[in-house]
Amino acid sequence: MLTQKAWSPYIAGIVIGLLQIPAFLIIETALGASSSYVTVGGLIASWFDPALLKIGYVARHVAINAKNWWQVALVAGVALGALLSMTLSGARRRSISPIWQRALGSASPAKRYAVAFFGGFIMLFGARIADGCTSGHGISGMAQLAVGSTVAVAAMFLGGIATATLVLRRI
Amino acid sequence: MSVTLAIAVGLLMGVVFGFALEKSRVFEPGIIVGQMQLRNFIMLKVFLAAVATGAVVLAALNGFGYVKLAPKAALYGADIVGGLILGAGIALAGACPGTTLAQIGAGYRDALFTLVGGLFGAVAYSYAEPALSKTFLGQGGGKLIFSDLAGIPYWAGALILAGTIVVILVALESWRPWRPELGNDFDGDIASTPSVSAKIHIVPAE
Repeated sequence: MLTQKAWSPYIAGIVIGLLQIPAFLIIETALGASSSYVTVGGLIASWFDPALLKIGYVARHVAINAKNWWQVALVAGVALGALLSMTLSGARRRSISPIWQRALGSASPAKRYAVAFFGGFIMLFGARIADGCTSGHGISGMAQLAVGSTVAVAAMFLGGIATATLVLRRI
Repeated sequence: MSVTLAIAVGLLMGVVFGFALEKSRVFEPGIIVGQMQLRNFIMLKVFLAAVATGAVVLAALNGFGYVKLAPKAALYGADIVGGLILGAGIALAGACPGTTLAQIGAGYRDALFTLVGGLFGAVAYSYAEPALSKTFLGQGGGKLIFSDLAGIPYWAGALILAGTIVVILVALESWRPWRPELGNDFDGDIASTPSVSAKIHIVPAE
């Protein structure tokens, strides 16, 4: 099982959903990922501009407390877990997925890196406006029947489908 | 709870999260972009299975009084505008904020640019937050949940949601089975994978 190259999406989804048990019982919060970018980004930016910490939003996110740093550890663990899983299955990845050559109509790594940077930038800018991402609004918010999260997820898929259809080429 | 313990718990949970993301292949740009081009449905399957499982878990934990729910406030303007921008970013990054880290762990070099872009985006929002929160983006109601609107207990609503998702997934699976959508190299790259029907066409021609 641990050395398989792929699991059924249903098994994997169930494993991810079960992570709500330790999240709610131990940390008293729901699964999420995008706040950690404010914690890490805000901390690094405050070394260059200490005035940033006067913004309450940033001060709340960089504060050394269990919830903030649990989520930073969580996303760091995601990288480790993916590395572990790949090592066990013996999978090899190229440095850029082959789909990008078709999606961007270019094999240039520089173009892909620029698009990735821009995509990452607006992804987090949008996630912070919405106050959550695929994890926080999606997996956690919808499981809690939150009305706002359901609206955010619908908008997220709408924005994603429109961009992937109109801006990217068919993969 | 001590911060050190929280970090240890987070790391452990993250390893499980990342492991499941990698095994499901949902972190692959081919699967995420494929989902947004409506030609690959693995992302939706993992997502809905996680939502349904979370709903059942929380129905039990909340129904028996072990935990309080923590839904986010309903801020419709922010949810719509932020969600649209987030979705556009997901399509261009070929990743979500969480799966970006799984891509880095798996060795995708462009994901490092997604990560740095994400950190800049989060900092840019932080500078704008005091101004943005005074606009319509800061307007909204409280922590609204569907079961309260329907006048039923949360656990009942959560179980109805989970049941509905199971029905949707059964239908989705019979329409689009998951195995062929993995692609030859398990990266969701279906276009460069010779399809079964193409092979069948070749054989009689010979």
